[in-house]
Amino acid sequence: MLRRLWDVFIAFTRSANLGFGGGPAMIPLMQNEVVKRYHWMNDEEFTDALAVGNSLPGPIATKMAGYIGYKVGGGLGALLALLGTVVPSLLAVMFLSHLITVYAHSPELKAMLQAVRPVVVILIAQTALGMGKKAFSNSVTWGIAAVAAVLLYFNVHPAIIIVASMLFGYVVFKNESQQR
Amino acid sequence: MLEHLWNLFVGFFRASNFGFGGGPATVPLMQVEVVNKFHWLTNAQFADAVAAANALPGPVGTKIPGFVGYQIAGWPGAIVGILASIGPTVLAVVILGSVLMRFANSPGLKAALKGVRPVIVVLIAQTSLQMGMTSFPNLMTWGIALATIALLYYSKVHPALMIVTSMMFGLVVFR
Repeated sequence: MLRRLWDVFIAFTRSANLGFGGGPAMIPLMQNEVVKRYHWMNDEEFTDALAVGNSLPGPIATKMAGYIGYKVGGGLGALLALLGTVVPSLLAVMFLSHLITVYAHSPELKAMLQAVRPVVVILIAQTALGMGKKAFSNSVTWGIAAVAAVLLYFNVHPAIIIVASMLFGYVVFKNESQQR
Repeated sequence: MLEHLWNLFVGFFRASNFGFGGGPATVPLMQVEVVNKFHWLTNAQFADAVAAANALPGPVGTKIPGFVGYQIAGWPGAIVGILASIGPTVLAVVILGSVLMRFANSPGLKAALKGVRPVIVVLIAQTSLQMGMTSFPNLMTWGIALATIALLYYSKVHPALMIVTSMMFGLVVFR
């Protein structure tokens, strides 16, 4: 049992802390550990877990770690998988946060931050584009996007727009997906 | 202090638990809470936090709450921010895992998710726009953006490497 718990911890530490680009970028690394290396699940089970994870809100990496850790080692397994996923990068970001606060007024840091901001803007725009390719399958989805943009402009809280669009999608797209 | 912690909890609870599409999709919602609602950071500072988080590996949905929580209220702040972000959904998959499995492929859920995806795209695009407004003070920053686009589409340079390189470049050019 101890061996299993240790494996869970190491598997998620490795897959979460070698992946850049947030949770979604580390899914293939997790699959490698969970399916290929440790054989805790087969590919289909992993895909099902991913489908469940994606149907819920929130960060995907911690949902996968919690679910798989629990299947492999119970509550303790879930806890260790989560710690492996979150703690190393958290410590690093704290350290960076500390440096940024201490050197907040240094011209060097300001120069570096001025140069990195355009890169971050482009990377986030690219995330939107990448998700956009899957999100716009017909003209109704464009209509939803247009309405969302207008509501955002008038400062409607995003959570309200999200819930409303899900209800709308449920009513409008339900028959369509049943046919397939 | 307790009020700070409570606000951190509420802010990140709302941000994470209405965002579909993993951590990156929750960044715009975090921006609404952190910048517009509680005024913990300015848009430029939030962009810096995102840059720091993106320069490191690991989930971005826990690095940003950790970073912001730590700046507002130290270690307890970081822990509260992260628990608020991951606690509810982790409990949901662990406790309801087998029940949820049955709904994962239901047409109703698929339809609802199809409806929400365009909204997430618009939210992320808006974050990029808002950050853009404070990120292009001179011609050189536009040049950096163009170079980033070129590298993204015509090379396989890793985004983390672009972040580090741009910071080195800035150190030389903007100081």
